[in-house]
Amino acid sequence: MLDSDTQAFLQTGVSISLAACNAARLACMSRGMGCKVFDGGRRMAVFVKRSQSLELLDNIAATGKVACVFSLPSSNRTFQLKGADAVVQPFELVDMAIVNHHIDEFVQEVVPLGMAEQVVRTVFSCTADDLATVVFSASAVFSQTPGPKAGEPVGGAAAS
Amino acid sequence: MNVRLETIRECLEGIIPGHIGTCDAEGMPNLAYLSQVEFIDNEHVALSYQFFNRTRQNVLAGSPVRLLLTSHLTSAQYRLELQFLRTETAGPLFEQMKAKLAGIAAHTGMSGVFRLLGSDIYRVLSIEQAVGPTVAPPPPPVNYLTALRRAAQKLAGSANLQCLLETALDSLQSEFGIGHVMLLMHDEGRGRLYTLASRGYPESGVGSEIPMGVGLIGISARERSPIRIGFMTSEYTYGRTVRDSIAAEGYADTLETAIPLPGLPEARSQMAVPILACERVLGVLYVESVADLHFGYDDEDALVAFAAQLGQAILHHQQAEEVEEEVQASDNAPPVPAGPPLLVRHYAANDSVFLDDDYLIKGVAGAILWALLQDFVERGRTEFTNKGLRLDPRIRLPGVSDNLEARLVLLQRRLDERSTGIHLAKSGRGRYALTVDRPLELVTD
Repeated sequence: MLDSDTQAFLQTGVSISLAACNAARLACMSRGMGCKVFDGGRRMAVFVKRSQSLELLDNIAATGKVACVFSLPSSNRTFQLKGADAVVQPFELVDMAIVNHHIDEFVQEVVPLGMAEQVVRTVFSCTADDLATVVFSASAVFSQTPGPKAGEPVGGAAAS
Repeated sequence: MNVRLETIRECLEGIIPGHIGTCDAEGMPNLAYLSQVEFIDNEHVALSYQFFNRTRQNVLAGSPVRLLLTSHLTSAQYRLELQFLRTETAGPLFEQMKAKLAGIAAHTGMSGVFRLLGSDIYRVLSIEQAVGPTVAPPPPPVNYLTALRRAAQKLAGSANLQCLLETALDSLQSEFGIGHVMLLMHDEGRGRLYTLASRGYPESGVGSEIPMGVGLIGISARERSPIRIGFMTSEYTYGRTVRDSIAAEGYADTLETAIPLPGLPEARSQMAVPILACERVLGVLYVESVADLHFGYDDEDALVAFAAQLGQAILHHQQAEEVEEEVQASDNAPPVPAGPPLLVRHYAANDSVFLDDDYLIKGVAGAILWALLQDFVERGRTEFTNKGLRLDPRIRLPGVSDNLEARLVLLQRRLDERSTGIHLAKSGRGRYALTVDRPLELVTD
């Protein structure tokens, strides 16, 4: 279960990347378009663009195993969450507000770092009918903030 | 592979960090951000190995590797499938990545955290572009091929080494739009580089020196490889690196330290490109800018090609200047100039020369000047040839491959810059004429 601080962090203007592997252990990853933590911090939903994530979604359907990285560009604070029960669900229109809010917050995060807003918004441009929702519970959480503690489990989660 | 890696190199600069995906033996994926991807060629890239993390464990255990890269210019995203080949812990690639990483670390507040342990080399098995909209990239600041063509034509039209150097630096400014540039020549015998020309600085710094292997310029020369940094980092700042090197290596007696190396105090982008010809390092071109990420892969390619042309031309002029026969000392002594004498003091220990107590130069150029002035005072000689100087036992050139012509250009520039009243001018191929405005008083210690 994620603590409230980590839950809040995952739902701000962080960069999100979601990965899953195929039977040959080749990973495929896509950018997350936003994240929703629910069930008291036990489960989360990450939204991805279906059209650019066909391989990723197939891998999730086949294995249920995912890795998801959340990183705040301005501070390098980074977490990686692992899950073994991931499922792909249809995107619910009500979650579009979360996606739009996430994109706005990410733009506010990276434009001061020198990124062109048009480029960022193009990376994240999406329509509700092209989104998919990947739901999983975090079986392990790791700090990946660069430094001596990078890779350490957070909150006593078992190492993966 | 539909996409050629060379056409998407902006994705490797780390402006939008790439992601690397691997997998453990149980099929659990692992993701990490990449601070650096280095382009080697269309089939190979190198990733920085900084920590023994889960990614590295998976790779060494045989995991396939996938990257997700994003262009900060077009928004396009690419997935690359890689195969790990080997790790390098020294050499040109390692030094290129180490320097670049130092800049990235400083820029991201990670100095002291990011440290390159190795360059992991991968074969690129496939590149696919992810489905999604893109934007048109902004036009490049320079058409590099046109700039290179025009600059090469100008180099080809240079009559001698001095003209070639002027043309080279002018071309870098006018054709490539580079505002701050230095050209340093390699002193092979003494293991250092000396500044022969520069543009864009308050002081030319002609005659200043840097040891081989020190700072961006010295490492570039030692490794025979271009080195490029996109962000300011104190690790490669000259003032500090040269001082540290002098202290550590005991250069203090012989390294030119009275003439400061020119350079921007706040350089954010730096690039050093070796000038190579016939397997030799002739010198280094160094360019810099106060802007972040000012020089990219295209700038690097263009300058490497330019430096190759320049190297061949330098070698040609060096050899051409030494084919003339020795001239005899003139029987007609020049008229003795009037006015107060100029005191010329020579210190044999390091061949340093002072004019009226003002330091001018030392080393080989100092020895050349002292020989010229001795012959002038004792024999009234004003005409000299490169060939004669090379054979002169007083000068002790480090070797037959030494670029004597470059040392004469250096001496000529120092004399002109200091308004010494002593002038050295080319009087023909392989020949120089000495003129002196005041009587000379020579003293040696």
